[in-house]
Amino acid sequence: MRNGRFRLKPLPCVGLCVLLVLLVLGATSCGGVREGYINTDRARNIHMIVKMNQGDYWNTVRLGAEAAAQEFNVNLTFKAPDAESEIDRQITMVEDSIAQKADVIILAASSYMGLAQVVDQAAYSRIPVISVDAEVGSARVSTYVGSNGYEAGQKSAQRLIELLDGHGEIGILNFTKSSAGSSLSGGAIDYGARDAEEREEGFLNYAARYPNVEVVQISYTSSSVADAERLTREMLAAHPQLRGIATLNETASQGAGKVIQSLSAHSVKMVAFDSSPTMMEMLQDGTVQATVIQNPFSNGYLAVKYALELTEGLDVPERVDTGTKLIDLGNMLWPENQKLLFPFVR
Amino acid sequence: MRERKYRFFPLRPQHTPGGRRRRSNKLRSIQLIITVSFTAVTVLVAVIVSFMLYNKFARTAEENANINMQQIIEQVNYNLELYVTGMSRIFATAEGQITGSASIDSPLLSERMDTLMSSREDLVSVSVFTPEGDYVVGTPGLVLQQNTQLENQSWFTSASKSAEIAYSAPHVQNLFKGNYPWVVSISKMISYQEQGQTHQGILLLDFNFRTIDELSRQVKLGKRGYAYILDSLGNIVYHPQQQLIYAGLKYENVEPVLEYAYRSYIDTSTGDKRLITVRTLAETGWKIVGVAYYDEIVTTKRDLNQFLFWFLGVVISLVIAVSVLLSWLIASPIRRLERTVKQVGEGDLHTPIQVSGAYEVEQLSLRFNMMLQRIRQLMDQIIYEQETKRKGELEVLQSQINPHFLYNTLNSVIRLAERGKTDDVITMIQSLSKFFRISLSRGKNFITVQEELDHIRHYLVIQSFRFRGKFRFEIKAQEEVLQYQTIKLILQPIVENALYHGIEMSPDEGFISIAASLQSGSIVITVADNGLGMSPETLGSLLKGGVRTGGGSGVGVRNVNERIGLFYGREYGLSFASELEEGTTVTIVFPAVPAEIPAESGEEDTSS
Repeated sequence: MRNGRFRLKPLPCVGLCVLLVLLVLGATSCGGVREGYINTDRARNIHMIVKMNQGDYWNTVRLGAEAAAQEFNVNLTFKAPDAESEIDRQITMVEDSIAQKADVIILAASSYMGLAQVVDQAAYSRIPVISVDAEVGSARVSTYVGSNGYEAGQKSAQRLIELLDGHGEIGILNFTKSSAGSSLSGGAIDYGARDAEEREEGFLNYAARYPNVEVVQISYTSSSVADAERLTREMLAAHPQLRGIATLNETASQGAGKVIQSLSAHSVKMVAFDSSPTMMEMLQDGTVQATVIQNPFSNGYLAVKYALELTEGLDVPERVDTGTKLIDLGNMLWPENQKLLFPFVR
Repeated sequence: MRERKYRFFPLRPQHTPGGRRRRSNKLRSIQLIITVSFTAVTVLVAVIVSFMLYNKFARTAEENANINMQQIIEQVNYNLELYVTGMSRIFATAEGQITGSASIDSPLLSERMDTLMSSREDLVSVSVFTPEGDYVVGTPGLVLQQNTQLENQSWFTSASKSAEIAYSAPHVQNLFKGNYPWVVSISKMISYQEQGQTHQGILLLDFNFRTIDELSRQVKLGKRGYAYILDSLGNIVYHPQQQLIYAGLKYENVEPVLEYAYRSYIDTSTGDKRLITVRTLAETGWKIVGVAYYDEIVTTKRDLNQFLFWFLGVVISLVIAVSVLLSWLIASPIRRLERTVKQVGEGDLHTPIQVSGAYEVEQLSLRFNMMLQRIRQLMDQIIYEQETKRKGELEVLQSQINPHFLYNTLNSVIRLAERGKTDDVITMIQSLSKFFRISLSRGKNFITVQEELDHIRHYLVIQSFRFRGKFRFEIKAQEEVLQYQTIKLILQPIVENALYHGIEMSPDEGFISIAASLQSGSIVITVADNGLGMSPETLGSLLKGGVRTGGGSGVGVRNVNERIGLFYGREYGLSFASELEEGTTVTIVFPAVPAEIPAESGEEDTSS
């Protein structure tokens, strides 16, 4: 009786609480946070370090990454050494990104083993690392976005051997075995880029099925067209019987294509790698019979997208294969291939 | 406890025990009723109003957004139509120039083509092909590529099939060296002059997407919304994320778009709710598709929603707070009053009631307080009166058998007997006997004036033996007075007073005169003596009980006055007039009430 004044309070209080709970429930259900939706309210710092800062291929990767950055509100820092062979420079760049506390590092490693250590270091600093295009020898990499190099090499070999009717000498122009050709190839540490190795392996394994086909030389260019041209000339000079050339990246393809075009050596068949407007012209005028293309735009875009999903704590696939395709004169103007070959409308 | 109280306060309503009753009482309390009903009504009204407002605003917002979007798309449609018309006009110009030219390879025509090319930035190339696919003439400076496979290209085939102007789907133009631009081709079979002969040929104009891009890029439909353009086959002419779509990273659900030329609908295929608006260009069959995200269109709706929720929340909490406060303000004085009244009901009549609050409650408490005060007063009075009455009766009872008086009288009788005054003894004993008979009168309080006068006569007779020759007395009464009733033994104390204080000390012979008369409905009895008299001080303290009749019957004058006052009212009683050395007159006034004679006289007769 003494606290009669308070004895009525519980009921209105309970009512108030129920009302408030209802209100909160209503508000949240109206807000509607979707599951798996990437939150773009906060800008993330994502660092992308690729093999080099020139060439159509990397440019396209960058554009893909930038498209994703724009879409998902990402501060994209794009870094690349001048040449694919500058492994130390690339390591320094990764170290810088670690120091700058990037949210995610996207790396196209110029060297499978050379960058392994610095990737481990990034993982130690709790920065996730995504591999794009070329894998790196670290178990700490979150995901790999790129094409299957082995398969691409096989496609290239298959088409070249078809073109040669199954016999003849073949030269291969590959890239970044080491900075100075093959001087370090015998060493205990393999400093080559993973994608280059995979493509070569795929090619050689396929070619090995044909006893009449002989791979007479494998040259490794650094990352300049001029170097590729020089190597091609040397190769043609060294092997006059050479019937086919397979090039395994864009610069090598452009160099070799130029040499063949200038020599008008139509007896030499060539299967190139990657697409660029010049390569398309060579394809159309018959200098190059086919090219294996990847999806650089998708690689760049998806790498950034998955990087973002990592920061959101979402599950990302361990390996994303963006596919390869063999393009020749016959199918280059198919609508779907047009879109792949020339993704830039403007 | 309850038992005890019950015995003390038999009329107080008793509690019926049981918690259920108590809870229902709690539910019926004023505060709860006010709080609940006030809150319920206000909340209900607020919710209904908010709901109606929300519906109204939301619908308007949605309609506005829809109309807005449609207007934007219409605008783009209109601009594009202008653009396409412009293209066809350029095509007509080119056609006119080529057809009108004397020879297809004349330098004049080449110059004109050059002018035409430079007039428009979005014009990529102009060229003429034979129906077999051979190159005739084209934009100066462009070199034809090898292996163009132009016979398979859509612009070529559609121009060969019909004479109408044909707009191609967007495609990569591979005709000329240098680059591979994305273009829209316009083509038509025309005739031209070459070396004096008229030939059939296909005129091709390629436009890049620059203008289309510019027109479409301006479209802003909210933060994420956009517009894209489809050709009649569903190929994407323009899309803000064209690369992503070409790379297969994004999809646009174009099937429902292709089915209609003019339409607005909601699409949920991507998981988001999106509002799609479709318009179609008449000439090319292109479709302009506006895509707006529903949750962005209805930002207003969501804002409104949020605002209303907050508003409702605040209002409801406020209302609850106010109603609790209000009801408390109203109910608490009432409850305090109730508690106090309850205490009073439980017997504590001294509980002060000081309840402030609403006017009515204050008044109620005031009135109640006054009532309580009155009750207290009355109770005090009753207690006092009862006590006085009891005491008076006790005193009367004592005086009835006053042993002192008896002893004195018997002494006088003895002395008379010793002296052998038998007559006197007989008179004395007779008087004593009658005196006691009336004194006792079987315990009755009321006797007739006759009896009272007899009683005082016997008393005076007895006393006259004791104060031999000291005084005389006379008793006069009107005849009609005698049968009225009076409280018994009211005269004896006064006479006793007169004897002991007035006459005994006086050197002269005293005289006591008692007279009873009826005056305007009241009986007036005066007892006058010629004794010493009293000073005004004594006179004043007489009725306050200061003076006792020492050695008297013990029944004081005051007692007489009290008894008369108690029985008949305070306006009746004794009054005194006295002068020193002259005497005192006491007047007794009380109402004339007839006595129940038959019973009394009957009893008296049987006992005597």
